[in-house]
Amino acid sequence: MFEERIKKMIDDADKLFRAEQKLKSIRVNTLKISREEIYERLRERFEVREMKWYENGFFVDGEISKTVEHYLGYYYIQEASSMLPPLALELDKNDAVLDLCSAPGSKATQMAMIMENHGVIIANDISMARLKALTHNIQKSGALNCIITNYDARNFYRTGLKFDKILLDAPCTTSGKIIKNKKIVENWNYRRVRYMSFLQKKLIKSAYYCLNKNGIVVYSTCSLEPEENEEVIDYAVKNFDFEVEKINFKGIKTRTGIKKWGDNEYEGAEKAIRIWPHDNLTEGFFICRLRKY
Amino acid sequence: MQIKKILSEKEIEEIEDIIEKNYGCKIGMKNYRIFMTGEEKIWISSKSIDFDIFNFLKRCYRIGIYFGKLKRNKKIKLSIEGAMMVGKKAIKNIAILNDEEALKYMHGYDVTPDKIVEGELNNFILIKHREDFIGTGILRENYIENLIPKSRRIVKGKVI
Repeated sequence: MFEERIKKMIDDADKLFRAEQKLKSIRVNTLKISREEIYERLRERFEVREMKWYENGFFVDGEISKTVEHYLGYYYIQEASSMLPPLALELDKNDAVLDLCSAPGSKATQMAMIMENHGVIIANDISMARLKALTHNIQKSGALNCIITNYDARNFYRTGLKFDKILLDAPCTTSGKIIKNKKIVENWNYRRVRYMSFLQKKLIKSAYYCLNKNGIVVYSTCSLEPEENEEVIDYAVKNFDFEVEKINFKGIKTRTGIKKWGDNEYEGAEKAIRIWPHDNLTEGFFICRLRKY
Repeated sequence: MQIKKILSEKEIEEIEDIIEKNYGCKIGMKNYRIFMTGEEKIWISSKSIDFDIFNFLKRCYRIGIYFGKLKRNKKIKLSIEGAMMVGKKAIKNIAILNDEEALKYMHGYDVTPDKIVEGELNNFILIKHREDFIGTGILRENYIENLIPKSRRIVKGKVI
């Protein structure tokens, strides 16, 4: 069923099922080292390629988790497409930022880096087990502007706090990871897609209530399912004072969101973006920027 | 996270003095917010974090990063990140390791330094490998006692 659905979404589904990712990607942690310095150090031992869509990202061929530089937190092993949602937030140094579902912290530490340890980032996660990974990564990154909290993101608005920017990288069925894990096709089931969609709508509602007027939410998932992406945006736009803003990334092939799926027509989908795994040999991602008016 | 004390400027200066006494440098701790939790653990965060926020956040797990632990003998056991911050300006209590010993250190073993810069026996010492400060240890008579926490050790395999 998964394959049939994908074929309805795109014309070149066969390419997606055949695609494989060979290189690993890293993000330089400029809180600890410069881009140039890490590039020089790594290229002595690895084949290192620049990432066209993000200056602090590199593709590396080799066992990059066992280096002195990784031990020291000079870089973070991060999926190439997952570096995009923090960029879509267009962060200012003094922003108050909420990362609602933060663990294991790749995006929170990236945001701390972009903000050069200014402003404040609340990195929240519901799971105590995942908070340990988040804590470890924030410590290792040297991110000084982060506060880690342990709330159910659906109820975070009850704290009464308001933010300028919110990253909602929502829990999802992770079908965009198909490029790394073909078993996703075998394990896929529609009930899980529906459950995730239900949860994601609750999360975007919470994000709305945590946002200052004129504030921005970036909603992202690594799922390919319209129910978890465009349907959630459609729900947000129809039920809250949100407008979808166009996002432009240079150097990466993106496609617009799926406007029509079955009997449903989704509002805002034309301004959202999809990164299909086979277009750039990355994980699949859905990214949408919403502004509260 | 139970904050025991947010350090005043005077208290921050006392910490800075301890660092200066041990490593011969000041690191501008007044530019950060410094606070302590139980067991005299020292934490460091950006000044931009306003602690009034904690009137709203009851389920706070961690703020900023762990800098080190203040010992009764007025020494500080620095975390890796603490060692990196101090190391940039330190001029004493530094042990320099060669490639082989540095790898042993990252795996969690005690090591023998190539060179020691003004090391004080039985005191904490910064560990340097090439240009990097990779942690801290305790300088013993013939070796350096490893202080890397288990969670940060390289567990298996060869380091590239």
